[in-house]
Amino acid sequence: MKSNLADYKVGDRVILKNVLDAQLTIQLYSMGCVVGEEILVERKAPFGDPIIISVEDSFISLRKDDAKKMEVELS
Amino acid sequence: MKKKEFKVEDKLRLILVGNPNSGKSTLFNSLTGLNQRIGNFPGVTVEKKIGSVKINYQIDAEVIDLPGTYSLSPRSEDERVTFEYLSDNTRTDLPELIVVVADASNLKRNLLLATQLIDSEQPTILVLNMMDVVERNKQNIDIEKLQKRLGIPVVPMNARLGKGTKELKATIAAYQYQQAEKFIEDHESKDALQNTIYRFEKIKGIIAETLTKEGESRTATITRKIDNVFTHPVWGFAIFLFILFLIFQAIFSWSSYPMEWIENGFLVLGNFIAETLPSGVLNDLLVDGVLAGLGGIVIFIPQIAMLFMFIAILEDTGYLSRVSFLTDALLKRFGLNGRSIIPLLGGAACAVPAIMSARIIANKKERLLTIFVTPLISCSARIPVYTLLIALVIPADKQFLSFNLQGIIMMGLYLLGFAAALVTAAVMKYVVKSKERSHFVMELPIYRTPRWTNIGMTILNKTKLFLFEAGKIIIAVSIVLWVLSSYGPGEKMADIDAKYETVLADSNADLTVINEQIATEKLEVSYAGHIGKFIEPAIRPLGFDWKIGIAIITSFAAREVFVGTMATLYTVGDDENTEGIKAKMQRATFSDTGEKVYTRATGYSLLIFYAFALQCMATVAIVVKETGGWKWPIIQLVYMGALAYFSSLLIFQIFS
Ligand SMILES: Nc1nc2c(ncn2[C@@H]2O[C@H](COP(=O)(O)OP(=O)(O)O)[C@@H](O)[C@H]2O)c(=O)[nH]1
Ligand SMILES: [Mg+2]
Repeated sequence: MKSNLADYKVGDRVILKNVLDAQLTIQLYSMGCVVGEEILVERKAPFGDPIIISVEDSFISLRKDDAKKMEVELS
Repeated sequence: MKKKEFKVEDKLRLILVGNPNSGKSTLFNSLTGLNQRIGNFPGVTVEKKIGSVKINYQIDAEVIDLPGTYSLSPRSEDERVTFEYLSDNTRTDLPELIVVVADASNLKRNLLLATQLIDSEQPTILVLNMMDVVERNKQNIDIEKLQKRLGIPVVPMNARLGKGTKELKATIAAYQYQQAEKFIEDHESKDALQNTIYRFEKIKGIIAETLTKEGESRTATITRKIDNVFTHPVWGFAIFLFILFLIFQAIFSWSSYPMEWIENGFLVLGNFIAETLPSGVLNDLLVDGVLAGLGGIVIFIPQIAMLFMFIAILEDTGYLSRVSFLTDALLKRFGLNGRSIIPLLGGAACAVPAIMSARIIANKKERLLTIFVTPLISCSARIPVYTLLIALVIPADKQFLSFNLQGIIMMGLYLLGFAAALVTAAVMKYVVKSKERSHFVMELPIYRTPRWTNIGMTILNKTKLFLFEAGKIIIAVSIVLWVLSSYGPGEKMADIDAKYETVLADSNADLTVINEQIATEKLEVSYAGHIGKFIEPAIRPLGFDWKIGIAIITSFAAREVFVGTMATLYTVGDDENTEGIKAKMQRATFSDTGEKVYTRATGYSLLIFYAFALQCMATVAIVVKETGGWKWPIIQLVYMGALAYFSSLLIFQIFS
């Protein structure tokens, strides 16, 4: 079942399946966060916003709203 | 992007491009050493670093360090500059070779830009930088194979230690353009997104073939451990505030000596010019107009350079993006984003470079809002004004809850500026319309030890840029103000000269005292004096008299001019200090009512006025440049003026 990244908790590992926003896709891609890649939820600020994830040892910070647009599956 | 012809000649141009933090500037510095200068890209204030290097006995190359970019689809202003520079076909003076600098320890996404350039048929060389990190991470890259798969020369390097420079030069000298196989055929990609997705598929394939891993990376583990503390919801903030506190302490205590030297240096220089050049209008203009104006900005260089230094250190270590992470949730509510914290911090030194640094904000609306509110942060030019006014109305020994009241008010003014910036942004959020969605996707680089030469270069370049950007305007306005305060309508100026002629001739007279008296009387009848009197009715409700009116007008160019104008108005000689001005200002009375001018109410009112009003031509000029027109700077000027006026009015009415 598909769910979005914001639903996961710190320490979860997920696979990126789809990004629902073109601009966001390009931003994520240029930072190495590509569909099919494994994402580790590293850290969440209070109220779950923003979130730090890591993809192959690159750390990326993004907002909860952005995370909601990222469809993922537990890996 | 059109294909460019390329053939190695005696003179060529190397264009360094790459992801942010891939080591372009490090490579640039190691190639060019001190043979570099800094310029601007036409129309914008993005820095353009140009240097030169000898490739071999025969070939000389010009080197350009472009702003970092992740791909050829520009997202921020900086990236747009790079994109436009690369696609500009009008430069034909030199054959150009693109050197893509890639962080080899993050190969996958660093190859994106390289493959895009290869596909656009640009003559390109790939530098695989940070090979030391690759080694440390127990990875291995098959350079030969990578070269074959990409179809362009690949040079492994460690730019930090200058390793691989020789090989790079040899590769450049031997470079010949060869048509490489395209990664993505034009027909395969309908749009930028599709293109990127396909491209990454291919890049992943190449990496699977060329990169082998023998173990876990350690750098990420260390970064995680540090971040456990630095991005902690409580400790992270506490540490950030503590670092801020240390920075401001350091700036204010360390910069006082160099500032004193600069002040004295300008005094000596002024006296020297005044005495050596034949006296007359030109002499006065040079000394009282140009030199005084220049001195007024050079004096802030120590503080500004130091703030640049601290920001550069925080940035180079990777800490600053953690601060952005910490503050994003708060700033988002005010229509800003985590990146805005960098201009807001920088604004405490000087709004001009701070506004320039707002370029890192990709979202147009958030960038505009940041630019709009940054001048509300109390900058170092307000310090002398605050210091004088606080000393004037608050006795030095006065305490509040056992803290020094003067210090508390000073701190209060900083907080007030910050609060005003946030509130203004929150209001503007609803005024400025934007269809662009707000994203905040930001890379958090791994922590590194700062590279001191890089930081040194950053300080040098930014300070230079500030000096020239702000300097041009301040000199121009100083000249105008000098004219306004040295000339007046009618014969009054001449009358004053005539009046004192006999007194001056008296050999027993104290010349300095009389000259000061003349200066004061002349200022009163000058154009500036007339303007001051003209606006007095408007500013009287704020508790200001016409002398303050003059000071507000003269300090329109730059706030710190206030102190100098007060010195002239109250006939205080150069040899006397703030104490002298203070004493005379304390005795000042309104000419009609005879009441004291500098009551506590007027003091507070004036402080608030200087905290809010946009009295800085350099800021106006930079906002014109950065927003690409006069609309926003004018709105800003009017808004901050109105805010200053009505806040002062309110404060004066409350306290009087
Ligand atoms: N370990 C290592 N660090 C490097 C190397 N080259 C640059 N750096 C560091 O990487 C960081 C970013 O470099 P910089 O030149 O500012 O990157 P730019 O953003 O591309 O201009 C700095 O802290 C450099 O000291 C290298 O070859 N090895
Ligand atoms: Mg750089």
